[in-house]
Amino acid sequence: MASKWFVVKRLLLLVPVLLGVATLVFAVLHISPGDPARVMAGQRASQEQVEMVRQEIGLSDPIWVQYGRFLADTAQLKLGESYVLRPNQSVASILKNSIPTTIELAVYGQLIGILLGLPLGVISAIKQDSITDHITRIGALTGISVPIFWSGPIVIILFSVTLGIFPTNGRIAQQYFLSDTWLFFGHELPRTGLITLDTLLLARYDAFVSAVRHLVLPASVIGFYSMALISRMMRSSMLEVVRQDYIRTARAKGQGERITFLKHGLKNAFIPVITVIGIQFGTLLGGAVLTETVFGIEGIGMILVDAIDVGDYPVVQGTVLVFALLFTLVNLGVDITYSYLDPRIQQ
Amino acid sequence: METDGTHSRRTFLKAAGATMATVSVAGCTGSPKDTSSGGGDGPSGTLMYSRGARNSTLDIHVTTSGEDVKVTNQIYDKLIDFKPGQNQITGSLAKEYTLDGTTASLTLREGVKFHNGDEFTAQDFEATYRRLTDPEYKHYIGKKNVSAYSNIVFGQIKSVSVVGDYELEIELTKKFAPFFRNLAIFAGGVLPKSEIESGTDFSTTAIGTGPFTLDQYEQNGRQIRLRANENYWNDGPEVSKVIFSTVGENSTRVSQLISGKTHIIDGIDPDGVSRIENNDGVSVQQKVGLNVGYLALNMERMKPFRKKSVRKAMNYAINTKVIVEEIFSGLATQSSQPIPESVMGYNENIDPYPHDPQQAKTLLKEAGHGNGFNMELAVFKNPRPYIPSPIQTAEQVKSDLSAVGINAEISQMSWEPYLEYTQTGKHDACFLGWNTDNGDPDNFYYPLLHPAVESPDGQDWVSFDTDGYQTTNASGWANQEFMSSVEEARSITGSVQEREGLYREAGKLAHDEAPWVFLDHTNVLRGVSNSVSDYNVSAVGGPFLRTVSVE
Repeated sequence: MASKWFVVKRLLLLVPVLLGVATLVFAVLHISPGDPARVMAGQRASQEQVEMVRQEIGLSDPIWVQYGRFLADTAQLKLGESYVLRPNQSVASILKNSIPTTIELAVYGQLIGILLGLPLGVISAIKQDSITDHITRIGALTGISVPIFWSGPIVIILFSVTLGIFPTNGRIAQQYFLSDTWLFFGHELPRTGLITLDTLLLARYDAFVSAVRHLVLPASVIGFYSMALISRMMRSSMLEVVRQDYIRTARAKGQGERITFLKHGLKNAFIPVITVIGIQFGTLLGGAVLTETVFGIEGIGMILVDAIDVGDYPVVQGTVLVFALLFTLVNLGVDITYSYLDPRIQQ
Repeated sequence: METDGTHSRRTFLKAAGATMATVSVAGCTGSPKDTSSGGGDGPSGTLMYSRGARNSTLDIHVTTSGEDVKVTNQIYDKLIDFKPGQNQITGSLAKEYTLDGTTASLTLREGVKFHNGDEFTAQDFEATYRRLTDPEYKHYIGKKNVSAYSNIVFGQIKSVSVVGDYELEIELTKKFAPFFRNLAIFAGGVLPKSEIESGTDFSTTAIGTGPFTLDQYEQNGRQIRLRANENYWNDGPEVSKVIFSTVGENSTRVSQLISGKTHIIDGIDPDGVSRIENNDGVSVQQKVGLNVGYLALNMERMKPFRKKSVRKAMNYAINTKVIVEEIFSGLATQSSQPIPESVMGYNENIDPYPHDPQQAKTLLKEAGHGNGFNMELAVFKNPRPYIPSPIQTAEQVKSDLSAVGINAEISQMSWEPYLEYTQTGKHDACFLGWNTDNGDPDNFYYPLLHPAVESPDGQDWVSFDTDGYQTTNASGWANQEFMSSVEEARSITGSVQEREGLYREAGKLAHDEAPWVFLDHTNVLRGVSNSVSDYNVSAVGGPFLRTVSVE
């Protein structure tokens, strides 16, 4: 059981972690070439206009002044306004719009990974060294080895272009527009940003189908990758468990294989797998950068890529910080879960 | 403690299991119902326009992006507008307009209503003007946000006076011929004063007097839905809804057009053109664009380019015919001068430089560069409208140049850093291009070839570091004769013929002095479904969707 102290300590550790991330991203942005003021002002702007913009956004100040200001603002959760990507809009509102998209994709991907990975891992372990086991293991190895930027385009070519079963990109077909609020017993509530949930809340079932069809390919690509890791982990953990004394005891007393494996084995084998699933979820958020770019889904990953492209410092900084925060929080969640599952683990 | 721990662990596992089961069941049962309506509401009454990029904002005072403007042009009216499909202007919110010396008088249309119900008057224009240009104004857009178009559209204005509710008098700083054309640029759209002063966020909302009203701005500008403005003062609109959607892949947009999922698409590559042409029910509509693609020769950095014969040799050496016909698949025309044919002052007596490597070699020898020289050839990576295949173009130029002994080293950059690189004069020679804002020759000659500063005596180039240098002039060219023609021409507000004559001379001079290698003018291409009628492809000010109807 995780003590309160443990949680508080871990939350406090967030501060140096985020400070490090902030410093790193600030340094990288300012070292790399490119002049955001020039980009903001555009092709038609005169030197004076560029200079004016540079002063207005504070880029003509000494670098340590800019750094200090950035840290001070970030500490107050002020992420600033986008330079170019969505001129004039606050980074917070841009992130608020795109985080649910990324989380939705990661959750569905992870679900696919879990639903396929767990049974495959168990089967593989039970039928160790059989044909099924070999096929599963080869599948898992492939899943881990194939990068998303390759598998993404391949499934697009196969399922969208050639077979025409699923759409190539986006989150929902172009004809669907969803209203901004939904009614909950007479109260207007804002949309969640999770498109599959929103379409259901709005009772737009045709739009829901469209949203699901758009999610199938990207979520499967992510899911395949995570399935691979989960099934490998499940298999090895299961194999380790079945060598334990209590399993031998169970068998010795004449208990059937099914109950031995599923009741005594599986439960204990879950512990390391849950950890992997948790950590994997963090990685999936990172994998969003690739998946979103390939499938044209506008989550934080795609925003980040676009922002780097045009040198939109506030958006890049904000997005990276949010990534770091999410990743750390997910890991904290995993650690807490771990101690729930195995009370022997003291934290 | 031990029991508690075990208990909560079990509860947790059960809860987790139950959640997982529910979610997976929900996932299975959700799909089969209501699939029949997947095709949507069909074309009748709704016009669908698909493009490659999304809107970054709806604020016409902030944006410099042609993508953003495609949408705002449907929502906002300007005082003056372009005629659909033509390079001519006509009154819009201004019924009548005259320019007498430095004074412009405009009579405004009465009875026009904004989408919020406000009546349009001269005060709205004044507030719009002040929002974009007046730092003293409480609702000034802010120095950080104001786009370069503030200067282009309103830069020549000294003062705006509201003479009556429907009378405006605008005083210019000096005589300026293209003034009314500049008012027709998107940034000249009129916003309602009441909304400006109540602090409406114009980046995601838009309230104008135009043919369509904003209905929904979705997914950060990837999907935008407009509704017909039923009180519109001019002809149209003919469709009740317009949907702008973003489809990143060029080939996907073409597939959507062919399968009837959209009505108009832009951003078509040669491959898409042939796919559209091979299908019934859809067609390619095109028009020679109001643009130019060129290779700017930096006279400050590259000493050989300071000799006219070397610059001419470059023009003879490069096979622009192959570039236009093969690389751009014939969807462009060869350029002989900075402006395309439909712009006033086009000089039809000038032919494009022929491909003549022998002549090039002779000229190089005369200039003392018989053995050639080394140079950098800077190019942007992604297609731009005026140079649709930049890398192949650069490869072609490199090989043409090597045939006359010039060794060119290609350096590729993505667009934003490229702009900075070329505008600060770091290149030897760079590919660039320009889409006109207002269809006036001044909008090509002045920004692209005039340095906006004086050249030192007896020298026809200036340094990029000169204070006030016009950075869009990427060759550093500062020819005195050319400069005075262009300056004079922009100040002639009386005789059109006189102006035209000066531009014809300027075009000839630019051709002969060759500060650029003149490459091409590309066509504006749109894929259009046959169910669409009365759509006019426009090279400036478009798309004009108010007259368009859908079967």
